Amino acid sequence: MAHFEMLTGTDLTPILAQRMYYEQVDLVLWFRWGLYLFAGFFGVFPLIVAYVVLAERKIAARFQDRIGPNRVGPFGLLQPFADFIKLIIKESIVPKGANSFVHILAPILTLISAFLVLAVIPFGIGLAPVDLPSGLLYMVSVSSIAALSIFLAGWSSRNKYSLLGAMRGVAQLVSYEIPQVMSVLPVILWSGSLSLVSIVQTQQYDQGWFLFSPPGILGFFLLLISSIAEVNRAPFDLPEAESEIIAGFHTEYSGMRFGLFFLGEYLNVFAICCLSTTLFLGGGSLPLQGYFAGESHHMLAAPFDASRQSTIKLNAHHEFPENPSTGFKIHITNSAGDKEAFQVSHRVGNELVLMANRPVEFKADTNSRVSAAARPSYAAPWHLSNLLMIPVFFAKVFFLIFVMFWIRATLPRVRVDRLMSFAWKTMVPLAIANIFVATIWFEIVIRPAGGFTSRVIAWIVTGILTAGVVAIVFRINRNSYKANDPERRPTLISRSGDSLLAATTQGL
Amino acid sequence: MVYNYIFIGLLLLVATAFAAGPLVLVALLAPKRKSKNKSEFYECGVITVGDSWVRFRIQYYLYAILFVLFDIETVFLYPWAVSYGGLGFFALIEMVIFIVMLLIGLAYAWARGALRWQ
Amino acid sequence: MIQALFIALSAFGLFMALGTVFARNLVHAALYLVAFFFVVACQFVLLEAEFMAAIQVLIYIGAVAVLLMFGIMLTRNITGDETTIVTGQWRLLGIGVAGAVMIVLFLGINGFKPWTDLGVRPEFPVTAESTTPRGQAILAMTPTVGREMMTRYVVPFELAGLLLTAALVGAVVLAQYDRTDETSAAAESPQP
Repeated sequence: MAHFEMLTGTDLTPILAQRMYYEQVDLVLWFRWGLYLFAGFFGVFPLIVAYVVLAERKIAARFQDRIGPNRVGPFGLLQPFADFIKLIIKESIVPKGANSFVHILAPILTLISAFLVLAVIPFGIGLAPVDLPSGLLYMVSVSSIAALSIFLAGWSSRNKYSLLGAMRGVAQLVSYEIPQVMSVLPVILWSGSLSLVSIVQTQQYDQGWFLFSPPGILGFFLLLISSIAEVNRAPFDLPEAESEIIAGFHTEYSGMRFGLFFLGEYLNVFAICCLSTTLFLGGGSLPLQGYFAGESHHMLAAPFDASRQSTIKLNAHHEFPENPSTGFKIHITNSAGDKEAFQVSHRVGNELVLMANRPVEFKADTNSRVSAAARPSYAAPWHLSNLLMIPVFFAKVFFLIFVMFWIRATLPRVRVDRLMSFAWKTMVPLAIANIFVATIWFEIVIRPAGGFTSRVIAWIVTGILTAGVVAIVFRINRNSYKANDPERRPTLISRSGDSLLAATTQGL
Repeated sequence: MVYNYIFIGLLLLVATAFAAGPLVLVALLAPKRKSKNKSEFYECGVITVGDSWVRFRIQYYLYAILFVLFDIETVFLYPWAVSYGGLGFFALIEMVIFIVMLLIGLAYAWARGALRWQ
Repeated sequence: MIQALFIALSAFGLFMALGTVFARNLVHAALYLVAFFFVVACQFVLLEAEFMAAIQVLIYIGAVAVLLMFGIMLTRNITGDETTIVTGQWRLLGIGVAGAVMIVLFLGINGFKPWTDLGVRPEFPVTAESTTPRGQAILAMTPTVGREMMTRYVVPFELAGLLLTAALVGAVVLAQYDRTDETSAAAESPQP
């Protein structure tokens, strides 16, 4: 049975004071962090990225009816190491008149931002390097540094093409960052938290994948498209369009300095696929797991009055999901039948501190029931269903990475004016409209904690709305495009790209 | 929890080391042979005319301003979305008003042709 | 420990601020400023205001720095060898403004009586009880910000929206967009 204990504001202060100090970080945590830093960030992640590069070369080769690298080692498996050695022994050329300090700073900044983004991804239960209460905001803000590093790379090279590529690249990055950060708002709305761990837990134990709803589908695709643009990959690889501006912002980079940009780009690809998986594909949970997750019930040990105490303390019990994160919902039902939702505020040692979402008039007596959307079997981190989350998570991530290779191999490059207007005229309005459709989903399904019927109603209502919004936005764009473009080239893609897509758009 | 930022700080150091390490190796292992032609700007073999640090069009600046404004809007949207569950209808109306105001601005920019890349 | 970190960060930040002022190259000055923004973000973390820290990085390093860089690319002399030369009277004016700002900040931080009486800095009301407002505000920083924004600070919030719209319209007007050069607009122009 869970043990509740009142925690008044006055006892709170020493806890806060303690949390500040590094002594709070015990030896176990130091060990874990060390493991993440040296095994994860020095070992596993670069290795994954190295093989993602190799996989891309292999898969792109297959798409183009080639074989791809197969000389170094069996099936070319040692190719990444060969490439690394090659990059190490190549000379780094800095052009004359270039700003050498900024020239070297730019790739380092790229890599730092790519590394920092990975710090909050929950790879499995208890496997997030850190669980920040505002993890999503942290991720968005850290990844926004990339724009700066691209600009610095282009500027410091003192090459016209570099600078042009950088200016284009930054304009593209900042344009697609807006739909990217807005497309995740439904997820924040539905889980009521910015912590990525909590977002996964909400999907795993409560709501099911956020993808399974019309606003979720739209949000997922908006996130995927804008993320592809954010990492400058085809069809949005304008900043490094070799047919127009040589190699774009990294024209003057050679050897290992170029290698760092390359590594940073693929780390970012990995990171955004992890992010999409975490936000919309339920992290490591199985597709319908959330709908069948049971509830665990306890009796409240000590009474409390929520109108006087906003914070209550609860001993973390093995029947709650391991390490419930900030924002995880726990319901309390008193003997009169009133139900009130509380969220986990933080965890102090073995105790959970809960918090009411708003000032509530709620009294709970000793006959109150505590329920959390979690089944006892999910308790231990080493439980089979929890260990299974890791391969499931990575399977989703690698599938998304494969989709990105696929897109790259299929679609030709977008024209630069279309690129910008697509961001501002299509993606941004869609993302904003999607927020409000998501609000309707929230009101029908999540706030009343509705069952199957409310989900069906919500699917119909939000489905119609989403389809309507998409139709309206595309219609406006087509009309404004027809009205504005004197040449009326009804193709979404560059003129060089003569493809099925162009043919179909012409047919419309 | 703030002590988590100790990890972020350590990661910052590790990432810097990870990026700087190969560059140190390059400084030790790679050849350094300077030549006049090698340190020319790479423009596909054509000799550079004029300085590359030139003035750019205002279009870029306009996009940057649009970006800053919408970024600030996002900063308002995130806490709204987090606390929406505890707030209800009034919060929705407020946010609709806020966003409609910004959408009017976006529509104005659109109508004036400022969103056209030229 | 925290104190030492704070002092070290502040010293670094001060150094970066000086670099911003004295750098001859405009892009270098902007870079110093970015480093200073980062120091401010770190200070927010030390104050347990991680929401503010994230916003500091997102808005100032991610957005305002880009705006600054683009602004620099608009100026005539981006290497900035002549732009930082300041004549005597301008220097005097600068010192005056800096001094005035410093006095205002000093008074504000030290709790200047007439200002504190205005009650413009209210205690942070989190819930019905608020015995330690600071503690609870920190506990749920982001939800608290959202809730306060939607209830107590509605009018400033909507005014901020109006301000953003005004800035957007102003930017478009300043950039002088009219649709006269329609024919040339369609042509792809790789020229910067």
